[in-house]
Amino acid sequence: MEMPGTRSVRRTSLVEGLASALVITAMLAIFLLAPTEQTMGVAQRIVYVHVAVAWLGLACFLLMAITGLLYLGHRDLAWDQWSQAAAELGWLTSSLTLLTGSLWAHAAWNTWWTWDPRLMTSFILWAIYSGYLLVRGSLEDVHLRARLAAVLALVGALDVPLVVMATRWFRGIHPQSPKMELSMRAVLLLSVVAMSALAAVLLVRRRGQLRLEYLLEELQEQAEIRNDR
Amino acid sequence: MPAKLWWMIRKDLLSEYRARRVWPAMLLLGILVALVFTLQMDLLPGQQRRIAGGLLWLAVFFAGIMALDRSFALEGEDGCGEGLLLYPVSPTLVYLAKLVVNVLALAVLELILIPVFIVLSGVPLWTHPGLLLLVAALGNLGIAAVGTPLSALATKIPRGTHLSALLIFPMVIPVVLAASEATRLIAEDDFGAEGWRWIQFLAAFAVVFVVAGIALFDFLVED
Repeated sequence: MEMPGTRSVRRTSLVEGLASALVITAMLAIFLLAPTEQTMGVAQRIVYVHVAVAWLGLACFLLMAITGLLYLGHRDLAWDQWSQAAAELGWLTSSLTLLTGSLWAHAAWNTWWTWDPRLMTSFILWAIYSGYLLVRGSLEDVHLRARLAAVLALVGALDVPLVVMATRWFRGIHPQSPKMELSMRAVLLLSVVAMSALAAVLLVRRRGQLRLEYLLEELQEQAEIRNDR
Repeated sequence: MPAKLWWMIRKDLLSEYRARRVWPAMLLLGILVALVFTLQMDLLPGQQRRIAGGLLWLAVFFAGIMALDRSFALEGEDGCGEGLLLYPVSPTLVYLAKLVVNVLALAVLELILIPVFIVLSGVPLWTHPGLLLLVAALGNLGIAAVGTPLSALATKIPRGTHLSALLIFPMVIPVVLAASEATRLIAEDDFGAEGWRWIQFLAAFAVVFVVAGIALFDFLVED
């Protein structure tokens, strides 16, 4: 019997290669192609990465909630594996959002952190991801874990728009959508596309890994039952 | 349905009254937190009015989490939770009863903490009692509406009750923020349209999460 998952290795390695090439191109474009911004200088180049990871942080949250809802509807663990993959990737990208944002803030506003709406929203998003992963990590039973995680993801998904609303009513200093030169916008778009491609690849690979992990556990359990007989 | 709901609320209140396991500790923690916070408020009167609301709501949250945290923990003992689910009532009613008890716990906490804050900090929070009552009621409902299902969720995790504070806090930051701002506007005697906007926000938050709690609670108690 062919092990599940082996068929797709060759195909995904091609896709991974393409995604990596795209990210390298984007990096080269960020450092060589994009013009240096007048007031902020080289530090402004952080924006190209920052916007890309911030977008992924939000997208993964949405994905985690949607797959959670699908799990509750269908009780198919595949959806839960997608949820977990999205949560891990979302935690990573929202951590990177905080990190790159902090670096940018230091260069632009001369402070590492300030209580601006978007900063606060990113921080809360990160805290919810962290709590979600802690809950997942402390549960053994796969279906209980999937169910509780799905509920938590849905509560979080309802919360995030309210966080955005509440924090926006404080006056913020985060640039809304700053005017950019055409070449800058092109590089930004390239960076977002490249990072999204890489994220999609990572997501699919992680989900495949989780699926194999689950199948392996199932097989081990069956083997144990057989040995007991 | 109202009679069943009342009986379930009564059950929780009676068990708290007889055993006094949570509320006294919660009140003591609240007073201690208020004391520590007001120690830091050796500021000009204008600055005190600016920050009193935020500190009050933080104290309410930190002490209130004890009540939220324990709202389902007792049901884990001696199979009480299973017994509760065997009652001829829907899970929705169980959720609503716990929600009401948590709102009451937070109200009792504020009944003590608001005077304590006024005395210790000297900030005149009593000038608009009606508005303060409204802010407190909606704030409590918002915190309890998020806290009740998440504390039910945390009790499903073996050795996981300590997680409930970690899960609840980020989610209720909007409520703490809105209630703090509204309370600040009351203290500064400048409520107006901005204050009403925060009231609307608190009401919207409470509605969203009470409805979400009813919808999602079934998934937390099934098995």
